[in-house]
Amino acid sequence: MSAPAATFRAARRIDWLAMAALVVVALLAVFALMPGVVAPYDPIALDVVNRLKPPSPAHPFGTDEAGRDIFSRVIYGTRYSMGVALAIVAFAAVFGTLYGVVSGMAPRWLDNLMMRIVDMVFGFPALVLALAISAAIGRGLDSVTLALSLMWWPGFARLVRGEVLRLKTEPHVETARALGLGPVTIMWRHIVPFVMSAVNVRATTDIGYALVAVTALSFLGLGATSPTPEWGLLIRDSRPYFGSAWWYLVFPGGIVMLTATACSLLGDALDARKGA
Amino acid sequence: MLEVENLTVSFSGRDGRAVAVDGISFSVAAGETFVIIGESGSGKSLTGMAIAGLAPEGARVGGAIRFDGQDVVGLPDARMRRVRGRQIGIVYQDPLGALNPVHTVGDQIAEALRVHGLARGREAMARAVSLLERVRIPDPARVARSYPHQISGGMRQRAVIAMAVACNPKLLIADEPTTALDVTIKAQVLDLLRDLKAELSLTTLLITHDMGVVAEVADRILVMYAGTVVEVGPAASLMDRPAHPYTSVLLASAMMAEAPPQTALTVVPGGTPPLGAMPEGCRFHPRCPRATARCRAEVPVLRGVGGGQAACHHPLVETPEDAL
Repeated sequence: MSAPAATFRAARRIDWLAMAALVVVALLAVFALMPGVVAPYDPIALDVVNRLKPPSPAHPFGTDEAGRDIFSRVIYGTRYSMGVALAIVAFAAVFGTLYGVVSGMAPRWLDNLMMRIVDMVFGFPALVLALAISAAIGRGLDSVTLALSLMWWPGFARLVRGEVLRLKTEPHVETARALGLGPVTIMWRHIVPFVMSAVNVRATTDIGYALVAVTALSFLGLGATSPTPEWGLLIRDSRPYFGSAWWYLVFPGGIVMLTATACSLLGDALDARKGA
Repeated sequence: MLEVENLTVSFSGRDGRAVAVDGISFSVAAGETFVIIGESGSGKSLTGMAIAGLAPEGARVGGAIRFDGQDVVGLPDARMRRVRGRQIGIVYQDPLGALNPVHTVGDQIAEALRVHGLARGREAMARAVSLLERVRIPDPARVARSYPHQISGGMRQRAVIAMAVACNPKLLIADEPTTALDVTIKAQVLDLLRDLKAELSLTTLLITHDMGVVAEVADRILVMYAGTVVEVGPAASLMDRPAHPYTSVLLASAMMAEAPPQTALTVVPGGTPPLGAMPEGCRFHPRCPRATARCRAEVPVLRGVGGGQAACHHPLVETPEDAL
């Protein structure tokens, strides 16, 4: 960080990658918001004559065992997979931030109690909770959203609490206290604005991780149900055809990987900007 | 106006209790500029923070601090908040960090007025601008609309002072207000503090380690060492004829700065003793050129010496008893 030239070069390299990541995310947003415009076929219309056809100009990602166009299914799937990932991270970021701010501002005994609760949630296996919730309210994307939301917020809570503890001793916060401001005003005006950049970085990166978690649960059969074109479910359905129809696995899997990578790169770029 | 009686600030840690301020007493008269001087670790800043009710988390404050007749030690924070900012203004050392970078300068000054219910909305902003004018900031309306990073360090310290005096407090506590500033700006800020004191009839408690600052503004001086008062008295007599060897060494080292470079440096050997390992007897004896067996065994108490009081068995100035 001491050599400005090195920092500059690093910033430029990250910018280039970040631009690519931004393009990917923008495309995904288009897919999610208006899949009908991009997708050439109905994602659930059957065409049994053309089952398991390899990629061709008519079907760029090939077709599945029911003759459905995999390209169209991947595009329609964006809304489900990314929507759920976004919902999980949005809930986790909002709830985790509030929890972390309260914990960081609270008296020591309450802070300790709140952080032990965070430790407990951290220690609880996500898969077991997902299984339990699936069993209770039924298999589906709703139970995946619920299970992962409940598991996801402690990361934000810890991050924000740490930032709050650091910020509490910043000179401008001391000055605010010296002016006689109350804890609530200090929290909203003098602490929370400085926590948000760290939260944004974490949230951006976490969307990718949440996506992987969502598709993993669907792959295991705890998430989306047929014929929803959710990405994890596509991968699950492709299993019997691994040997004969490679495209069925590779394209949905590839898009999950590409999306997760893009989110991670965007998060890194935001982090670099925050430090600069 | 302000009476501090047997003030202690201590921290309890794993290795027992550490006493950072050990039973100090003093009083500040209305309208006076009272200076607490000492090295880092002498407890001077903690003393100031304790008066404002801002001792750090985990610190235990004992003794009594009467501000305008009311004991503020142990006052619940909700009540102390009405005193802080309103009747006691505080200026800290670091003008860069003291302002919140995401709000405008004017908004932050207005915030001080709003929280104490003195002005709202547009009126608060107008008063913020006139406060900036009062601390001699050129083009105050523009500065009020600026963010802290858009103005210079000296202006920021002025803005911080404007915040501290926004509610027209009776007491201004300034903790190393000039340490982070360069020499010319330092002089300007000191002039400003002196002028404001007259204009607003402020009582000032200035905390510093810089004898140069003291000479400019002090009416009375209190010298702290290792959490205790070693000497207190009127500025003129204390600086002319210090009674405590520590005060004299402090003065000598301040003179050095102005002395020709050939002069040999006088240094005070050693440093402030750590909280857990206070020497027996006089706390200054390991570093004191005049120390005797008595200093190693017996704790000296404050007594009348010269024009003020000093806690020393062998003062540099005659005591009234010695004169008899």
